[in-house]
Amino acid sequence: MYQYDLIDREFLADRSAEFRGQVARRLSGELTEDQFKPLRLMNGLYLQLHAYMLRIAIPYGSLNPSQLRRLAEIARDYDKGYGHFTTRQNIQFNWIKLKDAPDILDKLAEVDLHAIQTSGNCIRNTTSDPYAGATAEEVDDPRVWCEVIRQWSTLHPEFSFLPRKFKIAITASAKDRTAAKVHDIGLLLRQGRDGRLGFEVIVGGGQGRTPYVGPTIKEFLPTDRLLSYLEAVLRVYNRHGRRDNIYKARIKILVAALGAEEFARQVEEEWAKIDPARADLPASELARIRAAFAKTPFETLPARSETFEVAKAGDAAFARFVRNNVRDHKKPGYAIVEISLKAQAQTPGDASADQLEVVADLAERYGLNDLRVTHAQNLVLPHVKLDDLPTVFAALQAANLATPNIDLVSDIIACPGLDYCALANARAIPIAQDIARQFADLDRAERVGELKIKISGCINACGHHHVAHIGILGVDKKGEEFYQLSLGGSGAEDASIGKILGPALPADRVATAVDQLVGAYLGIRADGERFLDTYRRVGLEPFKEAVYAQAD
Amino acid sequence: MKAVTANRLLDGEVVFWKSGQWVDRFGDAQLFDDHHAADVEAAVATGKGQPTIVVDVYPIDLIQSEGRWAPLSYRERIRALGPTNEPTHGKQAEGGDVVAALRQASGAARSTGRVDLIRRK
Repeated sequence: MYQYDLIDREFLADRSAEFRGQVARRLSGELTEDQFKPLRLMNGLYLQLHAYMLRIAIPYGSLNPSQLRRLAEIARDYDKGYGHFTTRQNIQFNWIKLKDAPDILDKLAEVDLHAIQTSGNCIRNTTSDPYAGATAEEVDDPRVWCEVIRQWSTLHPEFSFLPRKFKIAITASAKDRTAAKVHDIGLLLRQGRDGRLGFEVIVGGGQGRTPYVGPTIKEFLPTDRLLSYLEAVLRVYNRHGRRDNIYKARIKILVAALGAEEFARQVEEEWAKIDPARADLPASELARIRAAFAKTPFETLPARSETFEVAKAGDAAFARFVRNNVRDHKKPGYAIVEISLKAQAQTPGDASADQLEVVADLAERYGLNDLRVTHAQNLVLPHVKLDDLPTVFAALQAANLATPNIDLVSDIIACPGLDYCALANARAIPIAQDIARQFADLDRAERVGELKIKISGCINACGHHHVAHIGILGVDKKGEEFYQLSLGGSGAEDASIGKILGPALPADRVATAVDQLVGAYLGIRADGERFLDTYRRVGLEPFKEAVYAQAD
Repeated sequence: MKAVTANRLLDGEVVFWKSGQWVDRFGDAQLFDDHHAADVEAAVATGKGQPTIVVDVYPIDLIQSEGRWAPLSYRERIRALGPTNEPTHGKQAEGGDVVAALRQASGAARSTGRVDLIRRK
């Protein structure tokens, strides 16, 4: 993985010292809250319901074991012993004190971590494929390009005060694990007919109160022109984005207002004015970054592991784990292992300090020192030898981290909701826990198959409810928590926005309603159809009937 | 009935107004009768004049629950208790009658002041 150099490290230390000074000035009264708030937000520090919340960037979802151990230490020393992985591959701590924040940033900087640009109207952490460098599906390693964007966008003077926040996703596989089409910019890395690499550029996707699947504005952008093109897109947005209205300030509103074609034309016009020699990345720098990711020390192994096969044949629980949480690796004899943070009664995406340390140890001993975070709030060991899988499984089981439910009904995305968040209208976590309990039977969950449930506690849609097979949005109905269900969304390569099923339901009806939806699906699905496929074939009606007919 | 709440600047802790002081427990909060609106306004104004001690000062509505007073909105009850997914975290960890009454309360309305807060963000 990419290693910070001296310049990166000095920069982080300076930034941390600067924030220490800002906190001191706030506490002494030299800075007002209105002056201080944008400064703390630029360092990922929010004031939530019970305490400050610190959002720490995990660049493109990639961590090493010492970084994860440091996060565990922070959880233990400054929080209540746990952290929360977010839908943007970051981690949040819920119980931070303002007076401790500078010390925490120092501790993060020691392991090349920070909270810069995890909030504010700037370019945020780039989302990427958690299987990068491990999956045979990819045409290139997307982390290379994420790192290019990280270096380019960090404290970019022109793009630090955009009309609104700005999120980029990069995938290099046909199967999209980044929700690229609902980002401000989605970059799909493709191989052209002549073998050259280029990006399909999607601009103006997004969720929130106005969800859009982004349109493609450029079919094939040669990779060496990436930065100048991004500069052109951001410049058009910076110039014309709606700064007058926070609800219309995202780039998706501008792209929708102009139309994708006109927006693309303006970008091309701007792009033509940019000198590539100034704006684009020199080949030598790209080669340096690329080399940092090429060094994964894989061994040459046979494709078949006797240890693995014997364990799978002899242990049904292990076989189930392999079916649901283990994916093919590009190298023979290796596998990608997903670690579910969605055990029964667990808060989706939460991990205790002890669990983080277990995962760090496993990555060190059996995972080539590599770890990933997924936007579905799970963790990944991207490079585990098949020979080591039974041992890794046993260690995960002992730490309650071996729940075999990836992409199944109980692998639910949920934002912190009203249990923590100052913006939320309703709770999300207890709803997720109710549904997981309803589908605790793993045989049944496997029979149901892939079913992505995502819950947001408000219309800002941090829980991605618009792009869920079954989306759940918490609303405040005359002061009570109600939940609006929607069906048929997808954040993957077949992206779509879900449609509202019917009137919102009270909290205690939601898990039952999901059960009724699943029942309806099982009754009408054709062979091989996922829930989403059946919905797309039959539409809302049979599902509406299942949930609302009995209720009347 | 009303109380006045805020978050403490230094650590973000939820606090309540009590006769010129900020206290941690809802059970210790000063309760204002509805015909003492001027006292509520005065407490809020004093809090807003203490920017190095508290932030986001606003009044909340209360209802009766099990013979005690509890915040009317569930948002304010969660603030006064802690997150419902972690019953040992936050103020609720102490337990006791007030915590039990807050957990039982079932009033439903947004707290006064909250809408104003969201607009400012």
